[in-house]
Amino acid sequence: MSEPADARSDLALMEYADGEIDGQIDGQPGGQPDGQINEETADAVVAARLARDPDARVKVAAIKQIGELVRGHLELSADAVHDAKFAAMWRRIDDQLEQPATGLWARVSRWFDRYRGHVITGAVSAGAVAALALILRPSTPDPGIPGRNAAAIDVRPVALRATPEIDSLDTPGGSSTVINLDDEDGHTTVIWLTPADTVEGI
Amino acid sequence: MTSRRWVTVAILMMVVVPALAGTMKEARADVTTDCEFLEISAKAGGKPAIDAELSPVEKKLKKPPFSTWNQFKLLSRSQKSLVKKKAEPVSLKIGAATATLVEIVDKSKVRLTVTMDDEKGKQVANNTTTVEAGDYVIYVHGLANNDGHLLSLTCK
Repeated sequence: MSEPADARSDLALMEYADGEIDGQIDGQPGGQPDGQINEETADAVVAARLARDPDARVKVAAIKQIGELVRGHLELSADAVHDAKFAAMWRRIDDQLEQPATGLWARVSRWFDRYRGHVITGAVSAGAVAALALILRPSTPDPGIPGRNAAAIDVRPVALRATPEIDSLDTPGGSSTVINLDDEDGHTTVIWLTPADTVEGI
Repeated sequence: MTSRRWVTVAILMMVVVPALAGTMKEARADVTTDCEFLEISAKAGGKPAIDAELSPVEKKLKKPPFSTWNQFKLLSRSQKSLVKKKAEPVSLKIGAATATLVEIVDKSKVRLTVTMDDEKGKQVANNTTTVEAGDYVIYVHGLANNDGHLLSLTCK
């Protein structure tokens, strides 16, 4: 048998060993109309070849061993990949497969997912500043602003009350008389307004 | 500054500004006083009569200078919480009035500005008085036929 014929024969044996045989072996057609041999014919041809050729049997055994070695190596390599990488890969794949959400709430959720770190940082900082503002808020009245923070007014005993003071009194077109009355209930300031026409009439 | 930092700053401002504003508002809201306004009509008649609702000032009304009249009728009554520097309208049956808390002095006195307009809308008084909490200020405005129009106020 010539060299090219041996190469074709070895190729056919490899395809047989891998279960991929779909053509002629050793130039023997399998009786199909399109020149292809059927599976039973191919098996018979290969079996006959292996029975009479010890080299072919060795080659088939070697090819099967190499196939087992390659398969085992790939399986071990797959086991060595970290689970987290697989999880990330699947997540990316799922993200690409999922339909993009279009609702307002979905967009808001996506925004918060994207900026979660910044939102937390901002909220914590704001809380700290607000707490400081509450703590540092002046709790005593500011002497520059009389009456500030004077939440409750003390109603002092009548005997301790000061006489009312008129700071200003304007009676446009008339006149006024101020009368201070004191009794057991305290002071009463009476501001008597007299219209101008009444004044003129007196 | 990157857009992400702007996001952080924006969130910070959204929380801090209302918090500070609330604090300042609370501080301002502290400066208040509660005042009661009694609008009274006074007449001279045959039979003395004082409305029961006027009991807080009844004893005062029986003494001079109010003894010119002997019939007193409550026209309106208002409770107002005055906020510092904010003019509060006081609704009256005759004319109109406003009251403004200028400040609280020594924790026991209020400095008030009161304006009164007559029924024609003409201002008849613009007065600022410092008065102890619990004491009274009574404005008396003469009307036709020697009737009187009184506005009594007291704050706590």
